[in-house]
Amino acid sequence: MVTTEDIKDYIKKIPPPPDILYKTVACVNSGDLVKAAKIAEQDLALKSYLKNLVNKPIYGFRNEVNEISQIFGILGVNAAKQSLYNYMLSLLSPKKWVLFKMNQVLFYDLQADLSRKWHDILVHLKIDDKDIESAITLLPSSIIVCEALFKDHIENVRLLKATKDLDYNTILKRLAQLDLFDICKHIAKTWDLPDTIGNIVLAASGVKEESDPKINLLGKWMHLLLFYELSQPNFVEAGLNNFIEFNVEYVSDIYEDFMQLMNMEVGL
Amino acid sequence: MRAVVKDGIGVFYPQGFLDGNNAPSFLTVEDIHATEQLKVDMLLVSLKKVIFFNLNGIDVFVKLLLRIRTKNHISVGICDYNQKKFDAILTYYKGNISFSLFKTQKIAELFSTSYKNQDKTVLLYSEDPSQRSALAIELYDRGHNPIIAQTKEDFEAKSVNPDAYYDIIDNTMLGLMGQKIATRVTGNAIIYTVSGFLDAEIGNTFNIAYHANSLNVGFRLFIFDAYKVLSMNIHAVNFLSKLCSSAAEYNATICFVGMTFEKTPTAFKEDLEDSGMMFFDNMDDILQDKELLQELGGSSAASTKHKRSLTKIVVQELPDFIEATVSTIGMMTNATAVKKSAEIQKLFIDDMQTKMASSIGFYGDIDGMIILIFQKEVAKKSCALLIGEETDDVNQILDALAEFVNIIGGRAKTLLSEKRISIDITLPRTYDNVANLLEVVDSKKGVQVDMSFNNASFTFFLTR
Repeated sequence: MVTTEDIKDYIKKIPPPPDILYKTVACVNSGDLVKAAKIAEQDLALKSYLKNLVNKPIYGFRNEVNEISQIFGILGVNAAKQSLYNYMLSLLSPKKWVLFKMNQVLFYDLQADLSRKWHDILVHLKIDDKDIESAITLLPSSIIVCEALFKDHIENVRLLKATKDLDYNTILKRLAQLDLFDICKHIAKTWDLPDTIGNIVLAASGVKEESDPKINLLGKWMHLLLFYELSQPNFVEAGLNNFIEFNVEYVSDIYEDFMQLMNMEVGL
Repeated sequence: MRAVVKDGIGVFYPQGFLDGNNAPSFLTVEDIHATEQLKVDMLLVSLKKVIFFNLNGIDVFVKLLLRIRTKNHISVGICDYNQKKFDAILTYYKGNISFSLFKTQKIAELFSTSYKNQDKTVLLYSEDPSQRSALAIELYDRGHNPIIAQTKEDFEAKSVNPDAYYDIIDNTMLGLMGQKIATRVTGNAIIYTVSGFLDAEIGNTFNIAYHANSLNVGFRLFIFDAYKVLSMNIHAVNFLSKLCSSAAEYNATICFVGMTFEKTPTAFKEDLEDSGMMFFDNMDDILQDKELLQELGGSSAASTKHKRSLTKIVVQELPDFIEATVSTIGMMTNATAVKKSAEIQKLFIDDMQTKMASSIGFYGDIDGMIILIFQKEVAKKSCALLIGEETDDVNQILDALAEFVNIIGGRAKTLLSEKRISIDITLPRTYDNVANLLEVVDSKKGVQVDMSFNNASFTFFLTR
């Protein structure tokens, strides 16, 4: 099925981000949002993506926001950086999804939902850190990697899953000793993303506890947030609900806090 | 979402949050249709990976379970929950629970018909005396040995030593059980427990697929435990006569034990005897009499009189069975399996002590049996994807081998269906002791193919 060679090939083919994006991120990092907006304007695809992203209902703006300078101004440094990384990741997403019943719109919705809710979580946890805020952007890359590696093995996976309750992450780990989140970390490295981002996403896999308690706590919140999102009807129908295994025990100590934050009854 | 099927039990594993908004998305029309077609004895929804559910969410699955139970007469239920989830389900359904609740999947398996799950000693407690009795009866009918705690204190005292039991059953409730006749395996005999008045309904409640499975994988003695049968009518006699006739092709014996015939015409008994049915007063008359057991085919799984020989049409489809095996090895190990030799011969296994095997039967347009024989280390290597971590636990390896041969069977079924050859596959059977396999295969001829992958060799054998 998927071999170590396939994974190496995939990692090798990860494209570097466009130069304009690099420069824009550098300006955002230094806090110069005006200059960042000017550079970003030169990339029409980036401009279109950002417009599309921030005008989604979850961002809650009453009027349509059109100008990049406006967008960055409204978002602030942390969220601006987050949205640039979201764009960077969207460049990896396939034009046509095969394994999961996804499309571009649904994928962007997932990015937006995760980003906004992650922001709310960080506010709740009183964490103001642009790297940590951006960490959520790497999470959906696990879905993209899964699609890329397994899309040619749908029948094999169907046979395997009919006999045993195995998720893609476990299958990959057992076949190639490397899982989806390890590959996400490679992506982070290739794109020079800060180490914190890769570490939080690795913890969010629910299979590798981090020794750093802060990273581990953030990993728990991200793991639960991911499954909250993947339990939404669109993503269940897309086949994403069980692409990795949900570790209920891992998140049990933050569950009640999470439910309150999402305005849901704790129930069980 | 599709159910994962193993040992005749189908299980849904939803994850995350389950409410009225998203639950319908888990089950598409195709999923429901596929579930209806499953040949399982039990269908479950596992809550192991569900962190939140409400009534509207769980009810979508419960409605499916009840629909399947009505259609297929199987047991259905929910499993893998903690105390909070158990209490929530009881609250949601307020004493109106017609499905079963099994604290764990392992407990649910005790109530299913499986070749491997036999004669288990379990500690049992339920606050509700009628549930306690119902659970004990069902366990007993399936050949288990339930130790019943009558009070909470008694239960706690007995629970102190958990190693004394295969499992401890509490927070478990039986809803309406499937109407399938309880089945258990004792050695090489299959025992069906029947009770009450036997009529035409036996055609629906008798698990004919399981019976066919058992014949195909080599069982030759079938005993109806009929101590609790009051009477039977002509429809039941006809059904049982047909069962005897079809068993004759496999040289299998069917026995009826414990029925008094006080309220049943003796002519019925004579008719059944003419069909080949044998009658005994006590179960021990068979099970404790080694000589008789051997004569009836219950001491070994061998067919001694009539041998079913390999047919041309089965041999013609050999490439598909080989392809199914090679591609499954490829899928599981990323290695390419190659054929070293192929001969029509009796099964030859050298160095038997170091080997283990698994088999799966198929029936339909063509019938036969696929057997795989591995060195124990090679079996581990082949099933690493299914086993996960490094293990020397023989049961775990055998379990994985059963899953492995099941995948091969499923793949062969797909390949053959492309040629419009329709087959069904049986439950897999595994052999820690290869000598037991030789008893099943006896001296039958088949196609023996020696294969290898990554410098490890294994044997594929196709026979009838």
